Amino acid sequence: MTAKGHVSLHGIHKTFGTFEALKGIDLDIQPVEFFALLGPSGSGKTTTLRILAGLEAPDDGRIMIDGNDVTGTQPGERDVAMVFQNYALYPHMTLAANIGFPLKMDGVAKNKIPDLVRQAAARVKIDHLLHRRPGQLSGGQQQRCALARAIVRQPRLFLLDEPLSNLDAQLRLETRVELKKLQRSLDVTTVYVTHDQEEAMTIADRMAVFLDGDIVQVGTPDEVFNRPLSVHVAAFIGSPPMNLFAGQLEQGAVKVGDYEIKLPKSPDHAAGDVTVGVRPSHIRLSDHGLPARLYLSENLGESMLLNFLVDDQLVKVRLPEVRRFAENETTALSFEPEHIHLFDQKTGLRIGS
Amino acid sequence: MFATERNFALLMVAPGLLVLLLTTTFPLVFLLWNSFHTVNLAMPFLDGFAGLDNYARMMADSRFWHALQLTAIYTFSSVALQLFIGLGLALLVMQISAGQWLFRIVAILPIVLAPVVVGLFWRTIMLAPEFGIIDFIFRILGLGQVNWLGSPTPALISVIIIHTWQWTPFAFLVLLASLAALPPEVFEAAKIDKAGAFQRFRYITLPLIRPAVVIVVIMRSMIALSAFAAIFAATGGGPGTATEILNLYAYKTSFVELNFGYGSALAVSLLVITICVSGLLFRLRTAHRG
Amino acid sequence: MARSASKAAAARRNGFLIAAASLLLLIWVFPLIWAVIVSLKSESEVLAYPPRVIFEPTFQNYSDALFGGVSILPSLVTSLIVSTSTTILTIIIAVPAAYAFARLRLRGKKWLGFYTLATQMVPPVGLVIPYFLILNKIGWLDTFQGMVTVYLTFSLPFAIWLLVSYMEDIPREMEEAAFLDKANRFQTLWHIILPQVRGGIAVTVIFIFLNAWNEFLFAVQLGGNTVRPVTVAMFNFVSVEQTLWAKLSAAALVAMLPMIIIGIAAQKQIVKGLTVGAVKGGGRL
Repeated sequence: MTAKGHVSLHGIHKTFGTFEALKGIDLDIQPVEFFALLGPSGSGKTTTLRILAGLEAPDDGRIMIDGNDVTGTQPGERDVAMVFQNYALYPHMTLAANIGFPLKMDGVAKNKIPDLVRQAAARVKIDHLLHRRPGQLSGGQQQRCALARAIVRQPRLFLLDEPLSNLDAQLRLETRVELKKLQRSLDVTTVYVTHDQEEAMTIADRMAVFLDGDIVQVGTPDEVFNRPLSVHVAAFIGSPPMNLFAGQLEQGAVKVGDYEIKLPKSPDHAAGDVTVGVRPSHIRLSDHGLPARLYLSENLGESMLLNFLVDDQLVKVRLPEVRRFAENETTALSFEPEHIHLFDQKTGLRIGS
Repeated sequence: MFATERNFALLMVAPGLLVLLLTTTFPLVFLLWNSFHTVNLAMPFLDGFAGLDNYARMMADSRFWHALQLTAIYTFSSVALQLFIGLGLALLVMQISAGQWLFRIVAILPIVLAPVVVGLFWRTIMLAPEFGIIDFIFRILGLGQVNWLGSPTPALISVIIIHTWQWTPFAFLVLLASLAALPPEVFEAAKIDKAGAFQRFRYITLPLIRPAVVIVVIMRSMIALSAFAAIFAATGGGPGTATEILNLYAYKTSFVELNFGYGSALAVSLLVITICVSGLLFRLRTAHRG
Repeated sequence: MARSASKAAAARRNGFLIAAASLLLLIWVFPLIWAVIVSLKSESEVLAYPPRVIFEPTFQNYSDALFGGVSILPSLVTSLIVSTSTTILTIIIAVPAAYAFARLRLRGKKWLGFYTLATQMVPPVGLVIPYFLILNKIGWLDTFQGMVTVYLTFSLPFAIWLLVSYMEDIPREMEEAAFLDKANRFQTLWHIILPQVRGGIAVTVIFIFLNAWNEFLFAVQLGGNTVRPVTVAMFNFVSVEQTLWAKLSAAALVAMLPMIIIGIAAQKQIVKGLTVGAVKGGGRL
């Protein structure tokens, strides 16, 4: 069986009036991959999804699915299914009619539809609700109905536009797991738009990080988290995000203020001003290092988030255990060389590996 | 996909636009054309191009100016009355906790009646001398007898009252709906900020319902400018020309005197006035935005 | 103490409000009630002075109005035919146009929309004059097709604008979902949009029917012996039978009964239509 659902975008441009939503993006999504498009609002991720679906036409560029150019085709001709952020269930139809609608439009024989609908509904555990209308359902059930409507005709590509954002926090965590399981069992290429980096990290095989109409990094969650390619990605990924300090790169070491960190091997970069990034969980409290004053401590129950002031800069530190701290207490912050991320101060690009 | 969308859209609007073009725009062009001609069904042998003759006659026609004046009085006073009574009643009814539905039901009644029937009711059982109920009420209250529809000023007042009676419910219902749609938190916040009832009305309610007020004024003005059936049924424009607004004058010139050329010119003038008034009111509406 | 005093004040205030509002209520409802009373009197009773509230009611006027020498039954049928045809024709033409205005990309849509709105503002007298000449020329005076054509001039622009505002309320994703579900544009309109604007269509139907039923100027001038709607019949009744008020009241109430029933039954929808129309700048009642 040849895997279906290979998607590639080439040089996609899209402007809305004077707003440049996409500045020429390229993307390659492998069959059966769970691929997340991650970025803040207005970064172009949803536009990309809608262009993939055929709901928007790109100004420039090509969209290929399984080797066919689908750039000029109608949404219905692409064999893709989509779950909308607000689900877009047809309010005047029962769940059964909602889920069966794509089959009906596709010309599936009438007597086959009820069985297919029941199977799809069973997969998302709403087969007991088929006679209800969307208005009589909870948000979670509506979301499942939208999923069922998408999977019922076994598309080669599954598009999800922030499908969990309208659910409450508890339900979101549960659904996230189920969604991942569902995708695995269906073996269908899935493109998933979200602004929630934690969601993208946990659910996706690979992801593309969008910023201002450009893709700034593509990679597995591990790669994006551990090797952010630019200071912008570093500042966007992680909760709370990476701390960034102004520093100087010298021979074999980097200095932040008076605190010098020896580097195991010299990066291939000229000495000078750099941005030094350290994740909150990689900072330790110790006797030597950056002098810091505690501004506010937040007790998260099983861990602590400490807000320090280093000079006038707010630095976040995540502590794995809970302790009492007095405000204005002074201490020093230190970090290990292997946990440091270096970025060129001018271009914002990553230095070294 | 979007080329076909445009074609599909064109297919969808084409019948509607074609019908509108044929049924509204073409007759209007014909009206304009007629206004530059002599078209007299009583004396068809005189028909022909007349240039601006009809308009020149209009400028010199005291009956036209009188009709224009009446139109202004009729429109302005009936719209003002509808707005004030309608708004007052809407504010009143908002205060009443139960039974609002009764007011809504009653208010619907005048709106759904045919204006011609309203005019006939008022002309006969309400305002007729001797036997009309209003006449009776005036007599037992010792206010004397008024020949409501038979003498000039009372007749004008009567047709204004009739129009106001029928259409105030419209203003009332629209304003009541927009009052009911206001978020109560705003008023609670204002109360906490120590705003009195009048201040709440002046600084909170009025600005918030202004769009609805402006729309009511626009719509009611348009309707008042083209009001016909109720006046026609109640007074026929009389006594004499005391209630002959421009609308009725254009109608009578065309269909009673059969002078369609001049009638067309009068109708064109009404059209121009309607366009100007609506343009002015719409500008007011956008000027107050933002 | 203070509390009960303020409670009493509130009750007094509420009582005053109700009294004031009820008075205005009475002013509106009175002419109709009075018409009902008059319609139940004999003609001589109508002319009695002072008018009596206690009298022996008779339904003679109603049976006269319906089945007597000047029966309004044929006019009721005429009104029904004209109003129904106008309504059906308008909806058929207006629904697709409204969909295009509300949803589709179309060159010059803004101007076309403005044009539609503007046609609604034309004073009827500006149309009745040219129409008389036009219909006369093509032999459509006093015909059903002529009357319905003329009625389209007010029903169509209004219907388009009312329907546009209802269609704009439907989330765009609904259609996009349908496109992805392989529905074509026509199927989307039919299966997705139309079922969701049923309420809006109902309101539009009520408004058009009401306006067509109540129309007078076009009817009196462009109709005649063949096409004589009830509004004209009422008017003629008074012109011919100057003082038969009881019969007039009975006939008028019968003629208006369908509208009153519609008005009370669909009160909520009518108010919604008025306000939707009000916000969008439509509405001709």
